[in-house]
Formats: sequence, structure tokens, C-alpha cells
Amino acid sequence: MGLVSRGTAEAGLGAASAVDRPGPPDAVPDPIPTPPAEGADPGSSRGPGMVLKAYFPTCCASADSGLLVGRWVPEQSSAVVLAVVHFPFIPIQVKELLAQVQQASQVGVTVLGTWCHRRQEPEESLGHFLEGLGAIFSHKPWFQLCRERGSKSWSCKATRWQGPASPAASGEDQVMLIFYDQRKVLLSQLHPPAALPDRQAGDTTASAGGLAAVFDTVARSEALFQSDRFDEGPVRLSHWQSEGVEASILVELAKWAAGPVCLLLACLLSLVSAASACRVFKLWPLSFIWSKLSTCEQLRHRLEQLTLIFSTRKAKNPAQLMRKANMFVSVLLDVALGLMLLSWLHRKDLIGQLADALIPVADHVAEELQHLLQWLMGAPAGLKMNRALDQVLGRFFLYHIHLWISYIHLMSPFIERILWHVGLSACLGLTVALSILSDIIALLTFHIYCFYVYGARLYCLKIHGLSSLWRLFRGKKWNVLRQRVDSCSYDLDELFIGTLLFTVLVFLLPTTALYYLVFTLLRLLVVTVQGLIHLLVDLINSLPLYSLGLRLCRPYRLAAGVKFRVLEHETGRPLRLLMQINPLPYSRVMHTYRLPTCGCHPQHSWGSLCRKLFFGELIYPWRQRGDKQD
Amino acid sequence: MCAQPVTNTKEARWQKVLYERQPFPDNYVDQRFLEELRKNVYARKYQYWAVVFESSVVIQQLCSVCVFVVIWWYMDEGLLAPHWLFGTGLASSLIGYVLFDLIDGGEGRKKSGRTRWADLKSALVFITFTYGFSPVLKTLTESVSTDTIYAMSVFMLLGHLIFFDYGANAAIVSSTLSLNMAIFASVCLASRLPRSLHAFVMVTFAIQIFALWPMLQKKLKACTPHSYVGVTLLFAFSALGGLLSISAVGAILFALLLVSISCLCPFYLIRLQLFKENIHGPWDEAEIKEDLSRFLS
Repeated sequence: MGLVSRGTAEAGLGAASAVDRPGPPDAVPDPIPTPPAEGADPGSSRGPGMVLKAYFPTCCASADSGLLVGRWVPEQSSAVVLAVVHFPFIPIQVKELLAQVQQASQVGVTVLGTWCHRRQEPEESLGHFLEGLGAIFSHKPWFQLCRERGSKSWSCKATRWQGPASPAASGEDQVMLIFYDQRKVLLSQLHPPAALPDRQAGDTTASAGGLAAVFDTVARSEALFQSDRFDEGPVRLSHWQSEGVEASILVELAKWAAGPVCLLLACLLSLVSAASACRVFKLWPLSFIWSKLSTCEQLRHRLEQLTLIFSTRKAKNPAQLMRKANMFVSVLLDVALGLMLLSWLHRKDLIGQLADALIPVADHVAEELQHLLQWLMGAPAGLKMNRALDQVLGRFFLYHIHLWISYIHLMSPFIERILWHVGLSACLGLTVALSILSDIIALLTFHIYCFYVYGARLYCLKIHGLSSLWRLFRGKKWNVLRQRVDSCSYDLDELFIGTLLFTVLVFLLPTTALYYLVFTLLRLLVVTVQGLIHLLVDLINSLPLYSLGLRLCRPYRLAAGVKFRVLEHETGRPLRLLMQINPLPYSRVMHTYRLPTCGCHPQHSWGSLCRKLFFGELIYPWRQRGDKQD
Repeated sequence: MCAQPVTNTKEARWQKVLYERQPFPDNYVDQRFLEELRKNVYARKYQYWAVVFESSVVIQQLCSVCVFVVIWWYMDEGLLAPHWLFGTGLASSLIGYVLFDLIDGGEGRKKSGRTRWADLKSALVFITFTYGFSPVLKTLTESVSTDTIYAMSVFMLLGHLIFFDYGANAAIVSSTLSLNMAIFASVCLASRLPRSLHAFVMVTFAIQIFALWPMLQKKLKACTPHSYVGVTLLFAFSALGGLLSISAVGAILFALLLVSISCLCPFYLIRLQLFKENIHGPWDEAEIKEDLSRFLS
């Protein structure tokens, strides 16, 4: 026993094709058994090396003798056994049942062959009887699967009848038995491989298609498995069965209740979204404010998610279902965390303490800023600043801080009540509370933002002026049509004024640059804090918790491929393999099932950020919705 | 039988071509080879006094810089009242303006198509901007060390002298850059002066001496060479006199520099022409005679 080959065990879907091909010599001996001499019929029409694959469910290994029911996939030359029909049966009834299943599942379910499980003495008559069945249920090739006493010895024959009249002219194929866990294959969802190895790309897709066909067959013939073992039907089947149907009464009740609840909630949500879409909110100043407040973005995002969750339309495919489940778990976790925060805030009267602390903190920040400005108005770090410009800028900013402090003191009586109401919003979810926190930080540091904008505009003006005047200084100009620097002959007065301005700007640049630098650093600090909060909100919003939980507890549900283990490999006997499901790696789970966030991605790469900072263009921590569509 | 044609071809003339089969090795040449040798085809014969006359442009420019620095020094020391300088500058500018048109009888003005109104506008722009910016200029470099300013000014004035258009056809010449460097230096120096009026007058003077004076010079040199020599001599002596009043050593050094440029350098140039040995012949590499400057943007 051992893995078929080291490479194929990890290659996901490639493993299926690797079985057909000889593996690396050091991994295992050739998994294809050498054709037995007596079995090889020289007159047979089949090509050399043709190996049939029979997928056999492990739960049927101990079933009584009977008929093999399943689907024949001619492209892959493989047979997928789905169930075993036990004796005694009436062939007409079996055919009727199969026709019903075929209609329900759109899968060509047929009788593939016979299954013989010899518990006691070998019965010669049974063998003949089983061979005779092939005449009733004609199928090419006809499988004859046999299990001797104990689990050791298996035998399998696949016969191609050339014609019902001449059984002697039949040819036999080699059969490879592949065991699979029916329940796991039924429940698992196969993910196509992310990146195919270039050399075997065509090969692998073909085999991936074959494996997908197997998975698809098992999943679609779920109708076959609905009959219970203890049902008294005309035909007795043996296959995988869910245990404890009785225990799922609660689930059934929930399913019954889910419809009306969903309808009610959907109505409520549509009401809310209709209210938010009211025209009053779309007027210019309001819509501008909404787009800037991250709370509104988050609320809108949540509203969209809830509408999707409680929509009465059924999810079309498993991916959509998974997305809904992910969203639901994410919202649940969010609200639970928010409620925890709320209870923690209210238990110790933290809100009052916060409100009391907020004003002194804002005062303190303003005072520190004043000190900073006074330091800048002196000779900071011995830099050569232009004294007059320095004084003007310093007084301008000091006046702003003064305005800000008076504003805060005007607000102070209402702060506790505002905070209390804001705290209530935590019951909408932790993300909403965090967004509100981010907005409050933005509002409280509005003066820093103002300083930054003034500084950046001034600096930007200087940099652009200097760059164009430097071209004038050298007697060049920027040619817009050709996008290059051309030489140009200027008039005397142009030269004079340009050089005069150039000199003035050069000597004033350090002062402006210093103010810009200091306020940009402050702004970056605020932006970093806000960015961290946004990151946290995005994480909660986008984490596919349901998928991750599935991967953790039921690894087979998300399949990335399969691997084969050799159970028995002897000459003269069929090769027996056990198919095991490769779980999807966590990184791919995250990648595949990541929920879309509300579009609050950072806008810049580091290089472009530095470039923008250098040229004094304004930076914002997040990108607006409108920009994303450009 | 075989020897006969060989001797025949030996007598045949050797041709300086490779496309015909000849009975000579490839590197063979005969006696006629050096007949086509020419020496110093493009060498020019210089007249000593003509070279001295041409060198006066350099002298003029050196003197301009010298006069500017001397005037600035007087202003900085408080020996020269800005009103007086402004008045003199204005008067000399007016005289120069009238002269500028009188010399060639208004032909240059007709050719350039520049109106008097445009001149007036330019003058107004100069005066207003300088006057408006003079308080800014006054406080511009307060916190910068004086030595830095001096170093910067020296650097800029040297640049002005290097890039000035002396009439040579070289890539380094850029009259725009030269003028801009001079104005930058004048603004730097003006910001060191005690009052904003000083700064204003200084910058105005810089425009007069660095922008307007060379234009008049060029016209003088083209139309009346004799008076140009006189003006140059007068200008040089006045610059020397101004420098003498500040420092005797500087004046002597400056006089030596002027003499070496105007007398020694032409002499040396003519002497060195004797040693010129530029050979031309049929073996020369290809010479592109076409003017390629139109491809250089």
C-alpha cells in the first residue's frame, strides 16, 4: 500500500490521469497490472492497454449479492456504481425504478452488471444465474464483480458481448476497482484547479472533466438515495443512507418557518431601502456628506447583504448558497460582537467617562498643536526659514486652532448624549460601531485636515511654479502637444518676471515645505488610525466564516481534487484503489469565498503615494464609490 | 608567353581603385600619392588689431559685471544714494534708447516690427514688478547667511560670463540662461541691501546693465566701430576707476586681466596659428559639409 505517486497525490485532479500513466519509477511499481496471458484474447477488438475503471461505493462492499446500478461514462471508459439492487427482484420493476430516477436526475442510470458477495460456500448455480442476467439487462461492457469470503480476495470481470447469440466471442477488459466514499463524494463540492501545470494542461483538464463527471453523477442521482433501507418497496437497494432522519425534525420546522420569516424581513428591508432612496437624501450637500461618511457606506453595504440573504429567490448554484451562508454568519457574528460591546459599555457607565474624557483630550491635542506652531514660528531645528512668511502662516494656523477650541467648548454640553446614542448603534453590529468611531475621529481631527489641505495646496502651487519657472530659467518650455521639453525664445520682460518669481519661490520654499511636512505627518497619523479601523471592518465584512468552518469541521465538503491509495496490487487480480478527497487549502477557501467589501480599498501603491506626497497632491485614506467605476 | 602581358601591365598606370584587378598589392602606392597633399586649407589669417577689436565684447561684459559689483558695494556701504542712481540710470536709459534708434536710422526697429508702445509696456512691467516685489526681496534672504549669498552670486555671475553670447557659434552659448543667472545674482545681492528702495534700484540697474546695455553695444559695434572702441575704452576705464576706489589690488588685478584678454590673448592666438598643421588630402575621411544644426532642437 502506498500513494500512487508522490507527485500525483498533491496534484489534485491530475491524480486521476496519473493512474492511467506509469508513475515515476521510484514512487511505486507500475500500478497497471500486466495483462494476464490467459485473459488476453488475440481476437478481441479492444485496443491494447484499455483499462476500465469501476467506481464502487465502500458502503456497498458488505451488501448482499445483486445487480450493480450506476452510470457508464464512455468518454472516460469508467463505470460509476451508485447502488446495489438485492435479490429477489422483478426485472420490470427495476427498470421502472431506474426510469423514474433517470427522469428525476437527468442521469443515464442503468444496470451495469452483477455483484456477488460469497459469504458461505461458493455456489456454482448463482454464478450461472448471474451470467444469465446479462441477457436481460444488456449493457456493454457487462461487469461481474465478485467478493470472496473475507475481504481479501476480489475479482472483477468486464465482458463485452459481441452478440447475445455468441457468448463465446466475447472479449474481456481489464478492470481497475476504485472505492469511493459515497457520502463524502455526494456532499463534497469539487473546485476546479487554480493553475494547471503547463506540460500536462490538456491532459489534466480531460481527466479533471472525468473526475467532475464522477462527482456530478453521484451528486445528481441523489434521488436514488432517498429510499430508506427499511422501506418496504418493490425493489431493495443498498447504498449510503443518512442516519437519523428523525433528528432533523427541527431542521424541517426551521425550513417551514424560514419562508414566511424571509418574506416579512424582505418586506421590511425593502421599506428601509425605499426610505433611504428618498429624494431628499439625494440632494447635493447631503449626498456629498453621505459619500464621505464611512458609517453610511457600511450601513448601505449591510443593507445590500441583508436584502440578498432574505431574498425569497432560491440560490441557483452551490456557490451562491455558500455566499449567502457566509454573509449570514458574518452578519450574525458582527451583531453578536456589537451586542457584547454594547453590554460592556453600559455595565460600567463607560460612556459617561468617555464623554468626560473627550473634551480634555481634544483640548490637549489643540494645546499641543499650538506649541508645535509656536515652535515652527521660531527657528525650528535651526532651519533657514523666511521670518515674514513664517509669522503669517503661524498666525493663520493659530487662529484656526482658536476657532476649533471654541467650537469644541460649544459642543461640550451635548457630547454625552451624542455618545449615548452612538453607543446604541453598536447593536447594528460591531462594524457599524467601528465605522462611527472612524467618523468621529475624522470629525474631531478636522482642524488637522484643514491645516493639511492648506499646507498641501500652498506647497503644490510652489512645486509646480518652480518646475515651470526652472524650465524658463534654462530657456526651455514644456511642449504640450509633443509631451516633451522644447527650447523657446522668451521676451525680455517674460524672462525678467520669471526669474524674479523663481528667486522668490526658491527662497520661500523651505518655509512652506516645513509646514507641509509637519502637517502631512499629523495627517498621516490620523489616516493610519482610520485605515486600521477600515481594515478591521473590511476583515469582518469579507471573512467567509461559514466556508472556513466547513473546511475546519468537514474537510471533504470543499474538495480540491482526489488522491488514490493502492489497496491491493497483485498480478492476476484487479488493481484496487481507494479514492480519497483532497480538501481545499485554506488560502484557496479564502480566495474563492471572500465576500465583496464596500469598496474601501486603499487607492495608492506605496510608490504613487510617495510621489503624491512629494508633489503635494491631496491624499485620502479610502477611495470613493464614484472613482471605482472610472 | 606568360611574361609578356605582365610586363605590359607593369608599365600600365596604377589606378587608385579597388574594383579593377591590378598587378599590385593592395597597399601599393606610387610617387603621385603625395601630390594632392594640402596644408591648412581652412586656416584663417588673423589681423592683430581686428582680433583686439573683436575681443572688446569680452572686455565689455567683464566691465559690466565689475561696474555692477562696484555699484552694489557703494550702495551697501551707503555711499551712493538710491535716488541718484535711479535718476542717472533713467537718464542714461533714455539717452541709450534715443541712440538705439538714431544709430541705424530706425531700420532695426522697422525690421523687428516692435512698436514704441510695446517698449513702454515692457518698461512699465519692469518698474512695477520690481517695485512691487522689492519689500519681498528685502526680507527674502534674511535668515540665509551672507556668505552663502555671496557664494551664490559669484557662481551666478560666473555662469553669466560663461554662457553669454559673445558671437561664437557654440552649443554652450545660451543668452537666456546667461541673462537669468545675472538677474538671479542681482536679486540675491539686492536682498542684502538695507532698504527696499535700494533693492528696487539695484534690480532696475541690473536690468539696464545686463539686458539693455549689450543690445546697444551690439548695434554700436555693427554700425559705428570707431565710436564703439571709444565707448569700450571709456567703460573699461570707468570700471577700473570704480574698482580702484574700493581696492587698489583688485583694480590692478582687473587691469591685468583686461590687458591680457585684449592684447596678450590675440597676440598668442596669432602666434599659435603659425604652428597650425592641418593636412588635407584624398585619403581624408568623409567630411559632412551640410549644416546639421537644424536637426538639433
